[in-house]
Amino acid sequence: MTEAPTPSGSNANRTTETMSLPSALEQGAARLRGWLGIPIVVLLVVYAYIVVQAPIDNVQGVIQKILYVHPPLAYGTYLGFIVTAVGGALYLWTEREDFDRMAIAGCEVGVIFCTLMLITGPIWAKGTWGKWWSWDPRLTVTVLLWFIYLAYMLLRSFSEGGTRAARFAAIYGIVGLVLIPLNYYIIEIFNNRSIHPDNLSSGSLGDGMGLPFLMGNLALFFVFAYLVLLRWEVESLRTRAALEEAEQFSAQYSGSGGTP
Amino acid sequence: MNTALAILWKDLVTEWRSRDRVIAMLLFSLLVVMVFHFALPTGTQDGIAENAAGLLWVAYVFASIIGLNRSFSLELENDALSGLALAPGERGWIFVGKALANFILIGIVDTVTAFVFAVAFDINLLDVALSLAGVVALGNLGICTAGTLFSAMSVRTRLREVLLPILLLPALFPVLAGAVAGTRDLIVEGAVSFEAIQLLLVIDGIYLVVSFLGFEYILDE
Repeated sequence: MTEAPTPSGSNANRTTETMSLPSALEQGAARLRGWLGIPIVVLLVVYAYIVVQAPIDNVQGVIQKILYVHPPLAYGTYLGFIVTAVGGALYLWTEREDFDRMAIAGCEVGVIFCTLMLITGPIWAKGTWGKWWSWDPRLTVTVLLWFIYLAYMLLRSFSEGGTRAARFAAIYGIVGLVLIPLNYYIIEIFNNRSIHPDNLSSGSLGDGMGLPFLMGNLALFFVFAYLVLLRWEVESLRTRAALEEAEQFSAQYSGSGGTP
Repeated sequence: MNTALAILWKDLVTEWRSRDRVIAMLLFSLLVVMVFHFALPTGTQDGIAENAAGLLWVAYVFASIIGLNRSFSLELENDALSGLALAPGERGWIFVGKALANFILIGIVDTVTAFVFAVAFDINLLDVALSLAGVVALGNLGICTAGTLFSAMSVRTRLREVLLPILLLPALFPVLAGAVAGTRDLIVEGAVSFEAIQLLLVIDGIYLVVSFLGFEYILDE
C-alpha cells in the first residue's frame, strides 16, 4: 500500500505555512529587539543614577520623584493602545495575521504600563493631595481605558475561531483608541473640576529636573519597545508551535494508516 | 438604505408580534427605579433633583443592555445571522436597521421610565419635556450605535450576554458624561449647556461612523 498523494500534498502546504512563521516583518522585529538589549541596560543604569542624584523638591519632598516614572508610563500606555489599534486596522485592511499578533503585544504591554501608572499615581496623590484617589476626569477616563483593554483581552479569549477573535478585537481596539483624544476633550469641558497637574509645558520643571524627566521618558520608551517586540515574538512562536503540533498530529495520524 | 428599512421593519414587526423585548426592558427599568427608592435614605427625596439625572441614566443604561443583548441573540435562532451576512449590499445598512430598531424600542422604554420616575420622585420634567427628549435621544443614539455593534460581537462569544456590559460600559463613559450633564442642567436650571450637547454630538458621530464601517467585519462569516 503506497502513501496517498493527497495527504502529503496538504502536508506540504501546511509546512510552507509553518515555514513562513515568523513573517519577514516579525523576523525584522526580533532582530531589532536583539539590538535593543544592551542599550536598554545602559540607559536604565544611567536613568536610575540621574533620578537618585536629582534635587529633592522643596514642597513635595522625595515623593515628587514619581514624576520621573509616572508620565513616561502614561506615554507608554497610550503608545501601547495606539499599537493595538494600528495593528488591528492594518490586520483588517491587509488580513495579515502578523499585524494581529502585533496588536496583542501592544495591548498586553499597554495594560502593564497602565496598571503601573494607576499604582504610581495614587502613591504620589496620597503624598500631595492627601488622598489615594480622586474622581478627577483624567483619572476616571484613564481607569476606563484600563477597563476597555481588559475587556479587549477578555473578548479575545472568549471569541471562538482565530480570525473572528482577531476581527472583533481589531474593531474593539479601534473604538478604544477613540477614548484617548476624548480623554483630553473631556478635561477641557469639565476643566473646573480637574485637579490633575497640567501637561508639562516648557519651564514648568524646577532646576535639575528636566534631565531626569527626559531620561525617564527615553529609558521607559525603550523598555516599552523591547517588551512589545518580545511579546510579539512570543506570540508568533506560539502560533508556529500550535501549527507544528497540528501538523505532527496529522502526520502521525496518516502515518499509522488506520482511519476510523 | 432599503436594506436598513427592511431590517428596521422586520425588527419592529417581530417585536410587535411578541412584545417581549419592550416589556422585559420596561419592567426591568421600573424595578431599577424601585431599587433607587430603597437605596436612597428615607427623607432625602426632597433633594433628589440634583442626583435625578444620574439615577435616570443608570436605569436607562441597564435596561438598554437587556434590549441590546436580545437584539442579536434573536438572530442566532435558526442561524438567521448567517442569512443576514449573506444578504447582498453593504452590511453597514444592516447595522443601521438594527440600531434604528433598538433606538425606537429603547426610546419607548426611556419615555415611560422618565414619566414614572418623575411621578415617583416628584420631579417636574414636563416643563422641559421637549429639550429632555432631545438630550435623551442623543444619549440613546450613542448607546444604540456602540451597543448594537458590541451586541453583534458578544452574542457570538462563549460568554454571550455576560460580555456585552463589560464591553459596552467603559465605551459609554463619554456618552454618559454628556447625557447626565445635559439632563442635570435641564432638571436643575431648566436649560441645557452647549458643552454637553457638543460632546454628545461628537461621540455619536464617531460611534456611528466606526460602527457602520466596522460592521462589515463583525458580520463576516
